[in-house]
Amino acid sequence: MRSLDPACKFVGLLVPTFFLAAFSNPFWNLVFFALCFLGLCFSKVNLKVFVGIMAPVLLMAFAMFMTGYHFPAQGNLPVNAQSLHISSSAVYNGLLMSSRVLAYAAAGLLFALTTDRIIMVRSFQQHFHLPQAFAYGLLAAWGVFPHMAQEYRRARVALRMRGQKAWPVSPAVLKPLLVKSVRWSEELAIAMESKGFSGKAKRTQFQPCHIKPVDILFLLLSCVVWPTLLFLL
Amino acid sequence: MALSVEKITFAYTRQGRPILQQFSARFEKDAITVLTGASGCGKSTLLYVMAGIYPGDAGFLREGTVTVDGQDPAQLPPPEKCAVIGMMFQNPELQFCMDTVENELIFCLENRCVPPEEIPARVDDALKFCGISPLRHRTLLSLSGGERQKVMLACTVALQSKWLLLDEPFANVDEQSAAQIAQKLRRLHEERQVGIVAVDHRLDHWLQVADTLCVMENGAITETAPMDHPPASDWLEERGIIVPHRPYRAPVSHREAGDTALSLQHVTVRLGGKPVLLDCSADFAAGQVHAILGESGCGKSTLFGAVTGLCKYAGTVTVAGVNAKKHRHLAPGTLGLVTQNPQDQFVFDTVYEEVYKSLLSKGEKVASAETERVLRESNLWRYRDLSPYMLSQGQQRRLGVTALLSYDCSVLLCDEPTYAQDRRNTVALMDGLTRQAGEKGVCLLFSTHDSELAESYADVIWHLEGGKLYAQS
Repeated sequence: MRSLDPACKFVGLLVPTFFLAAFSNPFWNLVFFALCFLGLCFSKVNLKVFVGIMAPVLLMAFAMFMTGYHFPAQGNLPVNAQSLHISSSAVYNGLLMSSRVLAYAAAGLLFALTTDRIIMVRSFQQHFHLPQAFAYGLLAAWGVFPHMAQEYRRARVALRMRGQKAWPVSPAVLKPLLVKSVRWSEELAIAMESKGFSGKAKRTQFQPCHIKPVDILFLLLSCVVWPTLLFLL
Repeated sequence: MALSVEKITFAYTRQGRPILQQFSARFEKDAITVLTGASGCGKSTLLYVMAGIYPGDAGFLREGTVTVDGQDPAQLPPPEKCAVIGMMFQNPELQFCMDTVENELIFCLENRCVPPEEIPARVDDALKFCGISPLRHRTLLSLSGGERQKVMLACTVALQSKWLLLDEPFANVDEQSAAQIAQKLRRLHEERQVGIVAVDHRLDHWLQVADTLCVMENGAITETAPMDHPPASDWLEERGIIVPHRPYRAPVSHREAGDTALSLQHVTVRLGGKPVLLDCSADFAAGQVHAILGESGCGKSTLFGAVTGLCKYAGTVTVAGVNAKKHRHLAPGTLGLVTQNPQDQFVFDTVYEEVYKSLLSKGEKVASAETERVLRESNLWRYRDLSPYMLSQGQQRRLGVTALLSYDCSVLLCDEPTYAQDRRNTVALMDGLTRQAGEKGVCLLFSTHDSELAESYADVIWHLEGGKLYAQS
C-alpha cells in the first residue's frame, strides 16, 4: 500500500465507501474492513499507533452496535422491557451500524498510516491540481502542531498557577493559542517567501509522481470490481 | 556591488510615528557588517525593509528607495528575490515547512526552478559546506536550535543568494553552535563572495568574524567602526549593547539564606526516551537569588517544566513544603513562572485584570487600590483597559512580572527572563526582579546562558551540564 500513488490510493479508498453507504449490508462492510486490515498488516504500520487509534474505534463500534441493537429500525418507541428481547433484526441492525464504523475507520487508517505526507501533497498537486499555496501551507501547518500541543500545556499551567480553573477547551486556554497561531503563520509565511516560495510562481518538480500499472490495478479493483460485486451478489 | 538605502521613511501604521525617518545607509558586499543597538531602535525593521519583506508583509514605506545590486528587492517576485537576498531569522523553529533536511533543501531549489537533474548536486554541496551531511535524512523536528540554524544557512547556500541578512541568528543557539555558524558565515563570505549584514545586540560571536560595526540609535546610524577597533565598551553599554566579559552591575553583598523554599530530590526527566535531567538534587533557600547556568538545550526549561508540572519526572519536588506532584494543594501564586515569552503567562482579558485578579484574595477594596498602585509604579496604568497582547514586548514583560509578584509567591521561576533583551532592558528587568524578590523574601530562580548575568545578580550559581545540577563552589 505504501508504494501506491497517494492520489490513486485516495480515490481508490473513497469511492468504495460511497457504495458501502448505498448498500446496507454488514457482510460487505466487514469484508471491506477485513481487506483494509489486511492491507495494514502487509504495510508494516507502527503497531503502537495502530492499536492507539483502533482502541477508540472499537469502542465506538461497540457503542454503535448497542445503539443499533437496542433501537432497531422496526423497534417501537418508547423503550420498554419488551424491546430488549434478542431478535435477529436487532442484531442485524447493530451489526450494520458497528460494521460501518469499522469499515470507514479502516479506510481512513489505511490511507493515513501508509502515506507519506510530503509525497501526498506532491501527488495531489500534480494529479488534482491542488493550489500550491494551499498544499505547502498545509505542510507548514503540520510542522506547527507540536508547538501547538506545547503551547496548550503552557497555557493550562499558567492558568493553574494563577488559581484559575479552566476546562480543556475553555476560551481562556484557546485564546492564547489563537493569538500565537496568527503570529506563527505570519512568521512561517515570511520564512517560506524568503526561500523563494510563491503561491503563483512556477516550480520544478524534483520527484514527479507517475501513475504506475499497480495504481491502475488498484483503481480498477476498488472502483470497478468492488461495486460490481456489490451489485451482483 | 552594495546594498543601499536612500532616505527611507517607514512606519508600521499609515499615520503613525515612523520607526525610520529619512534613513540612509550603504553596506558594501566585501565586508561583514553587524548592525547593533538597543531594542526598539529600528534595526530589525531596517533589515526587513532591506530584505523586501516590508512593506509587502507589514507597514508603510512612505518615501525612499532600497536597492540591492541595483534592484529593488520589494519589486522582485519571491523566486527571484531569494537569489538576491537570503534571510536567517531569530526563531529557528518557525522557518521550515517540510519534514526532513533534504526535503527542505529540495523545496528551496524547486522554488528557484532549478532543473531536477541539478538538485542532488546542489543539495550535496550545501550540506557539505555547512558540515551537516549526517543530518540529511533527519526530521527537522528532531534537530536542536543550532542544527536548525545550520540547515537554514544550508538553504541560503543552496539558493546561492548573493546577500545574506541575519536577524539575531544566535538568540536560540548554544555557544558552540554559534561559534561554528559564525565561522561558516565567514567562509561563505570569503569563498562565495556573499555580502552579509547581521542585526544583533550581542557582540561576542561577531568579534572574530565581522569587519564593520554599525551602531544604531533612534532610527539612525550614529557610529560606524571597524570590528577590530570597536567603540569603547562604556560607550556601547550606554547604548544598550551587550559587550562580552563586562559585569551588569557593581558587586553587591549576598543575601542571607532563609528556610528551604524549593527542594529537588533525585529528579530525573526523560524526553523522547533520552535523559535530560539525571538524578538532580538541590535545595533552594528563600530570600536568595539562584541562577541556573547552562548552554541552550541543556535542560534549564525542562527543570522548570518539572517544577511547574509541565514535564513528567521521577523523584520529588517540594515547593513551600508541599509535594509539587500534587499541585492542587498549592495555593494560587505559591509558585510563579516568568516565561521567555511574556505572552505565555497572560490569562485575563485586560491589563487591569491581570493584576487585580492576582490580588483579589485580599478583598475587593484592597485589591483595587493595590492594583492601581502597582500599575502606576510600573507605568502601565494608562494601558489598564487594553488587552495584554496589545502592549509592547517590554511592557508585556513588566506586566508579567508585576502580576506574578502581586501574589505572595514563595518561589518565582524565571525562564531566561532576559532572552532577546538588550543590555538596558536586561539591567532594568533584573534590578526590578531581584529588588522585589528581596523585599518579599521570595526564592528567585532564573535560568540563563550568560555567566556575567549570573555573576552579577545571583547569590548562588548552579550549573546544569550533562543532565546534572551542581552548585558553583
